[in-house]
Amino acid sequence: MKAVIKYSLHDYLRSHKYFPPISTFIILIFVYYSYTPNPIIDSYAVTSLILYIISAWVCISVLSLDPPVQRQLMILHIGGENRYYLSKLITVLLISIILTAYAFVYPILFTMFNGSVTLTIGLVAIVNHVSLSILGICIASFFSKIITESAVNSYGGLALTIIISIAALGIYDALPSYLKGIVWIIPPATITQTPLINWDGDNVLDLSFFPFIWVIIYALLLLYLFLKLARRFQK
Amino acid sequence: MDKLVELKNISKVYTNKNVLRNISLTINKKQILAILGGNGTGKSTLLRMIAGIERPSSGKVNYPNKNIKIGYVPERFPKNIRFTPSEYLLYMGRMSGNSKGYLIQKIDDLLHRFQLDGLKNQRIMELSKGSIQKVGLIQAILQNPNLLILDEPLAGLDSEAQEALVKIIGELKQQGSTILLTYHESNIFESIVENTFYLDHGNISEIESIKKETIKLLVVRNVEKSLVKGWEEILQVEEKDKQLSLYVPVKESDVVLSRVLQLKGSIEAVSTVKLDDDMERMI
Repeated sequence: MKAVIKYSLHDYLRSHKYFPPISTFIILIFVYYSYTPNPIIDSYAVTSLILYIISAWVCISVLSLDPPVQRQLMILHIGGENRYYLSKLITVLLISIILTAYAFVYPILFTMFNGSVTLTIGLVAIVNHVSLSILGICIASFFSKIITESAVNSYGGLALTIIISIAALGIYDALPSYLKGIVWIIPPATITQTPLINWDGDNVLDLSFFPFIWVIIYALLLLYLFLKLARRFQK
Repeated sequence: MDKLVELKNISKVYTNKNVLRNISLTINKKQILAILGGNGTGKSTLLRMIAGIERPSSGKVNYPNKNIKIGYVPERFPKNIRFTPSEYLLYMGRMSGNSKGYLIQKIDDLLHRFQLDGLKNQRIMELSKGSIQKVGLIQAILQNPNLLILDEPLAGLDSEAQEALVKIIGELKQQGSTILLTYHESNIFESIVENTFYLDHGNISEIESIKKETIKLLVVRNVEKSLVKGWEEILQVEEKDKQLSLYVPVKESDVVLSRVLQLKGSIEAVSTVKLDDDMERMI
């Protein structure tokens, strides 16, 4: 799997397809912190949400790198579809982790905050960034070339899903009470926002863990479905 | 013989088209097989299913050895690869779990044999069609596969590369690999292919291998016809002017010649003959 990950990172660099999503991310973070000072926890909550969208974008572009025949050859060499697809998604995750580091370090380095970042807040911020990028990656995998052939459906479907997931809180409020359960189907991109904004950052135990766990469970369910579907579409 | 792959009642249906019907085929170790057929008869589909990269609509493909290494040369190797042949082959070899040291040496050797040394630092997307096809071949033989599947491997190859390929196929077979290939308008493989199958309208049939072979005509003296008649290698015996004309498959000619000599017979002439229709009927 290491060889596929290295191959994909190297190929992604050479393809220059990384440029649109990554430059967008760098600019968005830059613009977000253009006024100082900023509240630490709230800012990190917002940049996590930005990373969620960018990770999805990176995922679509990484999964479009290999032409179908090359994909078949790599699956033969690595010895299975699951290994191939997991390697590809791990490649995207590695890129997201680098972006997480940027989103985390940039405001500290240029003193954009109104206080200092404690270890607890730092860890929670990183966990939130990484788990939301995993969610973004797993959602985007469904709209990648592997499953969604047409580019219109691919980008259109992904954009719509992401917009709905970000609007989930508003949708929840707008729905009549007997339909509120539907919100559970929507990707839980904003589920960690409310607990984070209400958290004072002193004690990690004051924070509700369930939303974070739910994000990961939801992403793993999507991953399982993606691997099942990808096998069917491959053959 | 040890089974390598077993196809059981394979069928493939694409939208409204039945490409393959109920095909059963057993591929054993250390064989060279060819699948022939016209355009669009489903040869490539069948090869992809044997390689395990396409799933049959019904039926089963079994690999008795689960750790089988399969090398596959696609009919059209992707032309927009952003790596140089050396980089690409090293990555592909690493994916199959080979060590870097082994690969560097093996890649150098194969690039040399296919005369790609001079191009190894150019990106594959910038190479000519033939050179790209060579890279496609090398990625499949890099790991000494148990089963090497070649889909029209000659397309775009120059004659040196074709000869190198035939030689490598022979070497791989010696090492115990099975080679499965398709080809068109060429007889370069005829001398090495042992079994030939023909695909037509989704059905497969085996062509008697004897018909595909080149035959040696051995003219010998001082050997009793009755003795020779019992040798199973011999396809046909004719007696004329105290001389025996023995028709023997190329592969067996050495064996027959040494037996003749052992019997103190003398050899008058050895020549290669092509089977004509009359001969085929006789055999």
